[in-house]
Amino acid sequence: MKAETLVFGFIAAFFALMTPIYWFMAGEIAGTFGLAFAGLLGLIITVYLAITGRSFDPRPEDRRDGEIFEGAGAVGFFPPQSLWPIVCAGVVTLIFLGPGVEQAWISIVGFGIGIWAASGWILEFYRGDYSH
Amino acid sequence: MTTQTARVATQEEVRTVSADTALGTKVMKYLTTTDHKVIGNMYFVTTMIFFMFGGVLALFIRAELANPGIQFLNYETYNQFFTMHGTIMLLMFATPLFAGFANALIPLQIGAPDVAFPRMNAFSYWLYLFGSLMACAGFVMPGGAASFGWFAYAPLSDAINSPGFGSNLWVFGLYILGLSTILGGVNFTTTIITMRAPGMTMFRMPIFTWNILATSIMVLITFPVLGAGLLVLGADRVLGAHIFDATHAGAVLWQHLFWFFGHPEVYVIAIPFFGIITEVISVFSRKPVFGYYGLVFATLAITALSMSVWAHHMFATGAVNLPFFSFMSFMIAIPTGVKFFNWIGTLWRGSISLTSSMLFAIGFLVTFLFGGLTGVILASPALDFHVTDSYFVVAHFHYVVFGTVVFAMFAGFYMWWPKFTGKMLNETWGKVHFWMLFFGFHITFLVQHWLGVEGMQRRIADYGVWEGFTFLNQVSTFGSFLLGLSMLPFLWNVWITRKTPDVGVNDPWGWGRSLEWATSCPPPRHNFASLPRIRSMHPAFDLAHPDLAEEDEAEFAELFDESDDSAELVEGGVK
Repeated sequence: MKAETLVFGFIAAFFALMTPIYWFMAGEIAGTFGLAFAGLLGLIITVYLAITGRSFDPRPEDRRDGEIFEGAGAVGFFPPQSLWPIVCAGVVTLIFLGPGVEQAWISIVGFGIGIWAASGWILEFYRGDYSH
Repeated sequence: MTTQTARVATQEEVRTVSADTALGTKVMKYLTTTDHKVIGNMYFVTTMIFFMFGGVLALFIRAELANPGIQFLNYETYNQFFTMHGTIMLLMFATPLFAGFANALIPLQIGAPDVAFPRMNAFSYWLYLFGSLMACAGFVMPGGAASFGWFAYAPLSDAINSPGFGSNLWVFGLYILGLSTILGGVNFTTTIITMRAPGMTMFRMPIFTWNILATSIMVLITFPVLGAGLLVLGADRVLGAHIFDATHAGAVLWQHLFWFFGHPEVYVIAIPFFGIITEVISVFSRKPVFGYYGLVFATLAITALSMSVWAHHMFATGAVNLPFFSFMSFMIAIPTGVKFFNWIGTLWRGSISLTSSMLFAIGFLVTFLFGGLTGVILASPALDFHVTDSYFVVAHFHYVVFGTVVFAMFAGFYMWWPKFTGKMLNETWGKVHFWMLFFGFHITFLVQHWLGVEGMQRRIADYGVWEGFTFLNQVSTFGSFLLGLSMLPFLWNVWITRKTPDVGVNDPWGWGRSLEWATSCPPPRHNFASLPRIRSMHPAFDLAHPDLAEEDEAEFAELFDESDDSAELVEGGVK
């Protein structure tokens, strides 16, 4: 995980350097916050990867001598198909159509259907052929 | 007897065929798919449709500008057309096309069965489609689509200066699009960090994969800024908030927020396509990528620098720090130059085959070089003040963006078409396509540099006879229609090759290097029947040409730190 951590560490370091330079040169608030938060994003991911990486040995994909069989076993669960993404995307569109045409009721309907759609997505693999 | 058997077989055949190709089955397949390859193809088709729609809008703009006076469009329609042209090309064509290529190739290049979050991947696609349709729905609203330019400067974009649902739908449609891109960025970052095949260390990933990682980081940092800005703009328009009110510097605040997103956005649509070019040049020069580590670090440097140059779009406001932004903008030329030298280094003494794909890659090198050089001019405030908001800028960003996105897209299509579809595109038509596109593009945009220097402003629907812009504008319009026609050979090419036999081999080009060339064309549902051993940056090449791979490795070990003791060093240091 070291290389991954360093990529994000580079982002954090760059903005840690840039933010004060920008603040002292331009004295402008919006950009300073933009730069600072960009660095913060890098820092959060760096710290997360560093801490997570400490809890296990280098993975087969971190080692130059990793063999394919070391990755044997279940990689993860991959849904074979799902109707919920398109339903949820439709609901999101409906919610933002409300302010788009300045009709609040459309958004309210969207939130209502949204509860059903989000539940469907979350609970999809709690039952049926692929339940786990 | 024989006839009877034959007849039975035919009926059976008919039944199976109709079961597989029944319309409902097909529709449901696409509506519910979570397969990254299918979603990638859906991205390709949708972006191509938006590309042609945006292109037609551009042809209307060019037709209007061919002569002084108003011929086809009125001022308001013209404004709507250039606004939607910009929005469609940037956010509904180029950005999703990055997601399309990433979807189609990332899991293949790192040896993963799918992306990390397949359902979220489908969700991203549908958000993209619905958000785009919502933003384009402005055309059928009373008052028409958004007409404040694709960067929606306040206070022009507020409810008083641009009333109407078309502008509202633009704001919220773009918010949904932004959401789609952010989710895509999350997905690709996670996939690259957690789903690589054993032995595929970070520094063995293909350059394209590295570039997608860099792009995803930029997306994660900048698209939320766009999203926040758009929601605030929406609140100003719909709820009557006054955040971007010009009376308290809201106008410049919007410009800061927009360009903090807007400049990295240019790199979001450039970096993945640099990756495509790197792969294409390497395969058709039959050489490994020259200066792999240099390219990786140049990409990361561009990623970081891209977020600290935004206000060079705002030099003329007089409200930004000129030295800081000018210096940082010049700095970007360094890693970009490194990339150019790496591409040339890869071509150098290679065994180059000039396939359509390679022609497009070389077309990219030429076009993007021009765009980069005019970019250096624009990064200098003293020069920028003279040509800002003129056709010089229009020429500059078309050289940069068309040069990267469109040339690299077609380079990628011609090379990976067998990987995506199993069919080979016709080379002759590919070359016809390239030369029409190349001349069409340069005739259209080269003359616009001079128009800008002579003083023609961007975004004007009309100009006077006495201004002397007529001739160059007519040249440009001729070029744009040639450019528009160059889509026909491509579409014809896709049509005539749709039923040709499958290529049937893993690597139809013979010199493919990265892992996607080690599986069938098109790959099976979870991508690999078996994975080769990964011991270098080009596992597919090692598998297909073990003898040459050994030679390569020996040479490589001399040049770079790939020998055993230094590998330990890398292990301790960089990794």
